Amino acid sequence: MFTPNWSTDAGTDVGTVVLEHERVLVASQTALDAGVRTGMRRGGVLMLLPDARIHARAPLLEADARHAVALALLQYTPQVAQAEESTLLMDVGASLRLFGGILALCRRIHANVRALGFTASLACAPTARGAWLLARANAGRAVRMESLLRRLDRLAVLLAPPARPFAAWFDGIGCHTLGDLRRLPRPGLQRRCGRELLDLLDAAYGLVPELHEWIAPPETFRARLELYDRIDDADLLLAGAQCLLLQLTGWLCARQLAVERLLLQLEHERGRVARAPTGVEIVLAEPTWRDEHLVRLLRERLGRLVLDAPVIGLALEALQVRPMAPPNASLFPEPGGSEEDRMRMLELLAARLGPENVLQPLPLADYRPDQANVWVPVQQKVGDKARNAQLPPDVQSLPRPTWLLARPIALLMRNHRPFYGSSLRMASNPERIEAGWWDGPETRDYFIAEGQDHTLYWVYRERIGSGDEGPKWFLHGLFG
Amino acid sequence: MFIQYFFESYMTCSGSISAAPESLHPSLWRASQLARGDTRCIDTGHPALSAQLPGGGWPTGVLVDLLLQQPGIGEMRLLRPALAAVAQRRVVLLQPPHPPQALALAALGVQPSQLIWLRADRTADALWAAEQVLRSGSCGALLFWQNHVRGEHLRRLHLAAQAGETLFFMMRPLAAGQDASPAPLRLALRPQAGGIEIGFVKRRGPQRDATLFLPLTSYLPDHHAPVDRPAPAPVAARSVHTELVH
Repeated sequence: MFTPNWSTDAGTDVGTVVLEHERVLVASQTALDAGVRTGMRRGGVLMLLPDARIHARAPLLEADARHAVALALLQYTPQVAQAEESTLLMDVGASLRLFGGILALCRRIHANVRALGFTASLACAPTARGAWLLARANAGRAVRMESLLRRLDRLAVLLAPPARPFAAWFDGIGCHTLGDLRRLPRPGLQRRCGRELLDLLDAAYGLVPELHEWIAPPETFRARLELYDRIDDADLLLAGAQCLLLQLTGWLCARQLAVERLLLQLEHERGRVARAPTGVEIVLAEPTWRDEHLVRLLRERLGRLVLDAPVIGLALEALQVRPMAPPNASLFPEPGGSEEDRMRMLELLAARLGPENVLQPLPLADYRPDQANVWVPVQQKVGDKARNAQLPPDVQSLPRPTWLLARPIALLMRNHRPFYGSSLRMASNPERIEAGWWDGPETRDYFIAEGQDHTLYWVYRERIGSGDEGPKWFLHGLFG
Repeated sequence: MFIQYFFESYMTCSGSISAAPESLHPSLWRASQLARGDTRCIDTGHPALSAQLPGGGWPTGVLVDLLLQQPGIGEMRLLRPALAAVAQRRVVLLQPPHPPQALALAALGVQPSQLIWLRADRTADALWAAEQVLRSGSCGALLFWQNHVRGEHLRRLHLAAQAGETLFFMMRPLAAGQDASPAPLRLALRPQAGGIEIGFVKRRGPQRDATLFLPLTSYLPDHHAPVDRPAPAPVAARSVHTELVH
């Protein structure tokens, strides 16, 4: 059974009440403290709490919520079914080993449901109907058949929906628990209460098999979440996005897919002018179906994002998916992690620093050193062959400085020598570079120069266009 | 404190036993000898320097402080053998002082496909990036240039480095040698003719005040080469080609 987590901000909470047929169905803790009780009318609530927020029950929203939770829980088993009275049934018999036992699985499901913003009462039993009854009574886990029978016998009769029309009769004959019900003669019970009650009882006690209609995950994934408030804080947005990512994880696991490209749309409030939603697109180098990496990427992206209006809704869409690749089956893991780990690290860096700040070299076969030294974002796919084809055949023979200044520094002249910190002495023969007549010609003589403190510099003399005042010297690099 | 106490009691009650302290525990060593840390070390490629370092090389998975007089004094040539040794995995340059040149680094033995250059606008971003790289443990080496780092950030980076086996060098100015640092190895580097001068600011071993001069492979061509170069003789009309005459 799912009910939303009411906001419990101290001071701001004025009490929230949900009405069904003009009667109170659920109330938040503040409202309960003020004296609101289930079954009250609207007038009574308003008398106790004049500014209470009153909502009518919305079956559509509830169905959406059930669907969202079912989608998220598909990551634990492909067999999830919706049952009566906001209950989800999961067949986890085949998943226990993978997730480390029933207790660990229950903890994970609890955590996921809480992350989605709901509370659930969870029960496990060898039969689906038994688990349903235990969950409705919030009576915990029964792993073995004997303990299930014991627990079921103690449950109230009226938990079973077919028994409810006959509540007065059951009360009259003193039949209060399911154990009492089982002791009644079956033919008489069937005549009075119909076939459904006996069917339910047999299914719960494991006497007849059950059939379920398992939820089929949709072909494409698109989930939407309406936020409760106007939000412009990255952390709160991330919490909302996490709900959607959980659903995405469930969907991917159920369909055995891994996501490559996804789009998170931040929907803004429509004021006088319609605002297009802000899109955050995430492209992954290595497809993934786990949400930890996606959450980390989204955190960095949302942290950098500048919003021009508060957000009222989130929508997540998987734009590109591919079949899930089987995990690397090597016996001894590679030191330093696999290539996927490396790509994940680079993606995370690019998400925070910006793709233009995470660079890899792509040397260009050009004589001009500043044109040859090209760095491109690491996301760009560059083949090793293409890169090596651009390298000079003998890299060792070229005296090139480790650090190339972004723009050359014009050097002062003292005593007809270039001066940088100290007077520079030319320590090598010139290397003449004259190229680029097609774009930005360079005519330079490069020297390795040595300062007084024996630091080596790469300097050049401009040969053409230096004007009347003699040769012009520039510092262009440092030898690391 | 505890180690000192333990050591004294050990010395007093068993003065006659000549067991070496390192046989008791790998983190113990005598003050007169170099520590033999249990971290994996990568050979520096310079035997004179390796002999002076605990473990006989650059330790991996710890913070190594290199204090530079200025960028471009031969620090990359000093690290060249170590970088070449770890270059099967990525080598990350974080906030280098100037744009690095891939050709020169290829000449140093790091293939361009293994290089990553990270730029960060803010110090906080740079520190965060360094921590991410260290924690992922998937890179061979991280070289981080940062002039001002607070002590707690250094400790945090040192802790992150211990999570993996990344070779982690922090390049800082010489003045930073005055501040305390959690790095177990701190070296001061100054340029010298034909090499580099290394001062040992901190190491696990005896204090060494004398600096170590380390010759490095020079970029300069051989100085004698120009002398042997044939001087072009004046070309007379209808004569044999000057090159052949010479």
